[in-house]
Amino acid sequence: MKRQKEDLNNHSSTVDTLTDFSLLQLFQIHDSGFPIGSYTHSYGMETYIQNDLIRTKEELVDYCTSYLFQNMVHGDAILIQEAFDATLEKDVEKLLELEELCGAMKLAKESRDASVNVGRQFIRTISPLQDDLFLAEWKERIDSQSIKGHYAILYGIYSAVTGTSKRHAVLTFLYATLSGLIQNAVRSVPFGQNTGVQAMHKLIGPITEATEFVSTLTLEDISNNALGIELASMQHEYLFSRLFIS
Amino acid sequence: MPHVFQQPPLKASRELYEGKDPTVTVYLMESSGGMVAGDRNDITLKLAPESKVRLIQQSALKIYPSHTGETCFQRIDVDIDEDARLEWMPEVIIPFADAKFQVDTTLRLKESSTVLWGEIIAPGREKRGEIYDYESFRSNFKVYVEEELIAFDSLHFSPNEADLRRVGVLEDAMYIGSVWLISPNVDQVDVRAFQETLRVEEGLQAGITRLEGNAIHCRWLGREQWSLQEEMKRVYAALAELV
Repeated sequence: MKRQKEDLNNHSSTVDTLTDFSLLQLFQIHDSGFPIGSYTHSYGMETYIQNDLIRTKEELVDYCTSYLFQNMVHGDAILIQEAFDATLEKDVEKLLELEELCGAMKLAKESRDASVNVGRQFIRTISPLQDDLFLAEWKERIDSQSIKGHYAILYGIYSAVTGTSKRHAVLTFLYATLSGLIQNAVRSVPFGQNTGVQAMHKLIGPITEATEFVSTLTLEDISNNALGIELASMQHEYLFSRLFIS
Repeated sequence: MPHVFQQPPLKASRELYEGKDPTVTVYLMESSGGMVAGDRNDITLKLAPESKVRLIQQSALKIYPSHTGETCFQRIDVDIDEDARLEWMPEVIIPFADAKFQVDTTLRLKESSTVLWGEIIAPGREKRGEIYDYESFRSNFKVYVEEELIAFDSLHFSPNEADLRRVGVLEDAMYIGSVWLISPNVDQVDVRAFQETLRVEEGLQAGITRLEGNAIHCRWLGREQWSLQEEMKRVYAALAELV
């Protein structure tokens, strides 16, 4: 018994181990009942759907894999990681720089606005649950409009102040974003629920791989090669009829 | 031009004026024929208050194979002072097979200054069948207005590591075109109406969007150079007229 206890202590001192409390907190912010509006955003995917380019489960998985590796891994995921570290170091200057970068790299207006809208809904929902001073100060900056309040940065800050591990923060962010896309595809293609479940299951491997990869990246690696998706997000603004805001 | 400092192979032409137009046209020449493993080009432009400048690159920028494994770097730093205006419509950048290239472009503007900037990236010497045969191509494009970063376009292509023809990436497109317009008069551009004039056809896709602040960005993905370039020239000229 003694041995086992020591082991447990060892685990809890490693950065990647979550307490049950932190784990459930992560579950809660990614729960479909958590009102941050992810079901209203397709980040350009709806343009592909309307152009009849996502018709099968395989095409959906392919699309999501591109979004994962060519957009999120080199974009929001790096920013979350950097915001997480900057929060632990209480480096506000760095966080402000990341916030500016997050807006600047999202060229398509709708994707940029989505990042701000989701971010603002996120902070509104979590602030009554948290009394962390650092987070409250960040909210103050958003309320006074000195910053926009991009989701990736807020999410990084929140993860750091609630004792989540950086790796799990990135892992669940990637999972939740793709899960949101899949659910939106199920509603709009339309696919059956089971097709959605199977597509998501196929993405679990790539998501863990992507998370591992993100941990090797820094701000120098920020890029967006998913130009097709970005263009689709620009075009989405002018679609005749649409289900999603972005 | 009050100050010109140049070193071969880069050269700036003397200033040329067309009729009574106060806009000065300067040609940027590159006499070497292209960049070779480890070459470095630095271009720094400073526009004095109220100056109006049109810069034209004389030919395509060719990046030769990196036989030494070294990357060629091009750095472009542009400062545009109060009420000044710059138009830059460069030629195509062509990374040959096995080329390694990085271009870092930074534009710094005042609230009152205007820039219209374009760029085209080729997949290689396409007519010779060189399509995404280069080793790496990196472009980091930043726009600051009054010290605030309003746009950061960063492409890191390594075709050997990740297939650029995947869905959502470049798909069947070979040429990437971009136009950036930053101007205090940008609100005079009706983006929706402008979007409706964009030519979209088989093998040519286009998008237009508003950036943070007084800025607009147009992007093209095209299968063929000529039609993309013609359409870009049309849009470029139309935007130049509007602001």
